Amino acid sequence: MNVLHKKLVRYLRANWGQALAIAAVITCGTATYISLASAHRNLELTRDTYYEKYRLADFFLMFEQAPMTAVFKIEGLDSVHEARGRIVKDVSLDVPGEEEPRTGRMVSMPDNPEPVLNDVALLSGRYFDKSAMNEVIVSEGFAKANHLALGDSIRATIEDSKHTLRIVGLGLSPEYVMMIRSAQELVPSPEKFGILWVSQSFAESAFDMNEACNEIVGTVDGSVPVKTVLDRAEEVLEPYGVYAKLERDDQISARFFADEIAGLAVSAKITPAIFLGVAALILLVLLNRMVRNERTEIGLLKAYGYTNLEVSGYYIQFSLFLAVLGCLGGFVAGELLANAMVKIYVRFYMFPLLRARVYPDILARSMGISIAFALAGALTAARHAARIQPAEAMRIEPPKSGTRTLLERFHAVWRRLSFTWKMIMRNVSRYRVRAGISVFGVMVSAGIMVVGFFTMDAMEFMIDYQFTETQREDVRVALQREMDEHALRDLLRYDAVRAGEPMLQYPFRIKTGWREKEVGVIGIPEDAQLHRLMDQEGRPVSVGASGIVLSDRLARELQVGPGATLVLEPLRGLGENEKEVTVRQVVSQYLGSSAYMNIHALSRLLDESFALNTALLQTHAGEARELSTALKDIRGIAAVELKEDMLANITRELQDSMAISNTFLLVFSGVIAFAIIYNATIVSLEERKRELASLRVLGFSKGEVGAIVYRENFLLAAAGGMLGLPFGMALCKLLVYAYDTELYRLPFHIEMSTFVWTVVMTAVFVSLANLAARRRIHQLDVVDVLKSRE
Amino acid sequence: MGGRGVGEYTAVPGGIQETGRFERGPMADNAQEVALFRVEGLTKNYPMGEVTVHALRGVSLEVSAGEFLVILGPSGSGKSTLLNIIGGIDSPTDGRVFFRDEELSRYSESQLTRYRRRHIGFVFQFYNLMPNLTAQENVEMATEISVSPMDSREALRLVGLEARRDHFPSQLSGGEQQRVAIARAVAKQPEILLCDEPTGALDFETGKVVLEMLRHINEATGTTVIVITHNAAIGGMAHRVIRMMDGHVREIIENAERLTPSEIEW
Repeated sequence: MNVLHKKLVRYLRANWGQALAIAAVITCGTATYISLASAHRNLELTRDTYYEKYRLADFFLMFEQAPMTAVFKIEGLDSVHEARGRIVKDVSLDVPGEEEPRTGRMVSMPDNPEPVLNDVALLSGRYFDKSAMNEVIVSEGFAKANHLALGDSIRATIEDSKHTLRIVGLGLSPEYVMMIRSAQELVPSPEKFGILWVSQSFAESAFDMNEACNEIVGTVDGSVPVKTVLDRAEEVLEPYGVYAKLERDDQISARFFADEIAGLAVSAKITPAIFLGVAALILLVLLNRMVRNERTEIGLLKAYGYTNLEVSGYYIQFSLFLAVLGCLGGFVAGELLANAMVKIYVRFYMFPLLRARVYPDILARSMGISIAFALAGALTAARHAARIQPAEAMRIEPPKSGTRTLLERFHAVWRRLSFTWKMIMRNVSRYRVRAGISVFGVMVSAGIMVVGFFTMDAMEFMIDYQFTETQREDVRVALQREMDEHALRDLLRYDAVRAGEPMLQYPFRIKTGWREKEVGVIGIPEDAQLHRLMDQEGRPVSVGASGIVLSDRLARELQVGPGATLVLEPLRGLGENEKEVTVRQVVSQYLGSSAYMNIHALSRLLDESFALNTALLQTHAGEARELSTALKDIRGIAAVELKEDMLANITRELQDSMAISNTFLLVFSGVIAFAIIYNATIVSLEERKRELASLRVLGFSKGEVGAIVYRENFLLAAAGGMLGLPFGMALCKLLVYAYDTELYRLPFHIEMSTFVWTVVMTAVFVSLANLAARRRIHQLDVVDVLKSRE
Repeated sequence: MGGRGVGEYTAVPGGIQETGRFERGPMADNAQEVALFRVEGLTKNYPMGEVTVHALRGVSLEVSAGEFLVILGPSGSGKSTLLNIIGGIDSPTDGRVFFRDEELSRYSESQLTRYRRRHIGFVFQFYNLMPNLTAQENVEMATEISVSPMDSREALRLVGLEARRDHFPSQLSGGEQQRVAIARAVAKQPEILLCDEPTGALDFETGKVVLEMLRHINEATGTTVIVITHNAAIGGMAHRVIRMMDGHVREIIENAERLTPSEIEW
């Protein structure tokens, strides 16, 4: 260790507060990078190995019913490598000890274990026994949430008859990583929805589908685009009522998962850059000041023959040290954070092999990145140090020329300012760059806070919009097939039911010009009260007697507006021909993207006079749960959903995961605000020592001298905070834009409380920085400062 | 304080010779024989905003190896500028400076750095010690970049401060700080020691101790010592005195009889 190193160590020891504050910002940067990049790598690796090992299909074809021989026709298509037919149907489940019914998605598997497409990862238990029927493998999350163990039994209502199923195994599947029924659900509800793998023979007999299937999944060799394969497959399967054809990327679980992974990749690039950029700016201020303070020392070193490189190297080493220190902290914090993220992920996603691993290359890269940013921050200081002429440096620096501030031109204002404020204004305008950087840092900090609070606002708004404003039913009853108005009338007879409305959901292909899109069209009554549509201003609108109403996203995708004509082709068994419909209106929708029609008009498109497959029921207060229990055994009902439960589940899941990420955002923004203000304060104290000591000599108290410094900080923080609010809004806009996926989009909705909290927290962070600097102000040795040569 | 320093110092007079780098030996009497520096028509202008300050207006002189030279002049006479140019930390506007056969005024920045590293030791009026390095570490600051430096403790012993080697500058008196600065300059075993008002910030007694040390270094090692000062009395201990005024050399005096620092009064 040479003398300059010793000097560095001593300096750091004397100024550990500043050093730690900068290192902390670097820690935030590297920690976010490590955790996000690790999470990205974890998920990507998990996905790839999981999909490969359990052979997730490349395409999915869904239809009413086809003989098993259809599978051979699909396999015969160009590029198709392998195909498998299976039966997939939702059934109502009765779990012992649980009042409300659950929905089980029954998926058929070969009678004997073999490595098939969309295989089951058996976690415990065994595969079905060939001889025994009624054996079932249950998805792990569902079993756990319902306290089901191997050997337990559950009862399923299949095609109006009851079956008792014995659980022989617990498993997972790559096609249900995100286990939700539809895009309308934001989060999985593992106790309400699970997968039941049953043997093919059982499924065929239970559903009365001998030697038949309603889904074909397959893989391709890549020689022909999947889209083309799907189009050809649809032609082949045309007689069997194809209603959906999906590439792997459109499959709901894969889609959610892929979006998440892509989102992580973006965040892993942007977030750390913000923190490290701020750290670089703080270093820039601090080191430039150090160089100016140590002008004579630099001159001396040079006079003694130290080279520019050696002298500049000192400042570079200073920032390198902080980069390495911060980065080491980042290693620890990053791994902790990565583990926390894994906890969130295993809550949302079901996979068998995710574990947080330490990736040395990510750690190395984080070190490289933080060093690069730290060097960037040190560069100007190093250059200044190199440019210092020794002879000149050892002369006394001329006093800073006093500058008139802009404010002084407004005499009326300036005259009224107290002496303290005049000093503050002068100081701010004297060190404009540093003041600017402080303002910028607080702005970034406040912006991050706004984003943190905004995500909560947006989610709350979205949930409220969906579950209070749009879906106003208490109980949603899904019927097993399309029925006429008698079904609704039967349900309305229950005492608990106060009101009810029919709903018809049917998949269509919507075409306009060369654009086409497969969409679930929802039919509701013209005067619907239980499912309301709202325009962009949030006003309820009617679906009208005719025409189609599109969600804003769908309208944008199809590039149509009111008045345009669309061609609708029904995708399931009902309805023969394509029909033309006029776009009536565009409505605002955050979850999913649907189209709406009058239920009568929609029925007519399907060549029916009136049909429904869902009933929305409003109950008397407190009777919803009872009703849903009563309904679970009724024939023809596929599922009963309590909105209350759905809402509670979504709120709980989102709040938990958001609480974690928002805590981190808050801590991070606090670190930024604190570090930048604290450093600026110390730097300014160092350089105004004489000025402040003189004030003390003139009779100012410690508190009064402190007030000059504190007020300046609050002034800069106020400016930063004010800029931070619009800056945060811009970040939110960006987020809204980035998260506009087919599954959901965030509403650009910021509560007033977000701004209030941001301002309050900024004030808290700045106060903390002032408090930390207080010691330095009080320790100012008046005599010593004035005695010594500048 | 000063008395103790001198006592320790005189107790180890052979310390410097033992390091054995200086083959030239004491040169007080044949000081005129080798021209170490030659300065020809040196001018230096500093543009200061609207006006230009003419610090040097054509200075020519020679400095011999082993010489103890005092440059006298009031502030603003250009003496510091001259010293800085000789020391390679400033460059002239016009004119030439030779160090032996080499033209310093043509040196690039890195050549000047190497020159300072090898040949020059500086002592300043305000000591310019590194505040967060101890006395010994301040000396090491110089020894670390020298070709064949003296041991840093040895250098401190030379100025009588070995016992205080672990003290920080703030724990030392002004005289002690200046002695550390001298130890630092000497520890490099430079050929030329450049001292800018070395006693300027010191009281009378302490100043004498410092001057005594400079004299001893000059005599014991043959190191060329150039002292600039506004204190005419110090001129008495030099081989030669150069008087400067307004950027010109006014007068060069050769002292037939040199005073010892203890004989100097001011």
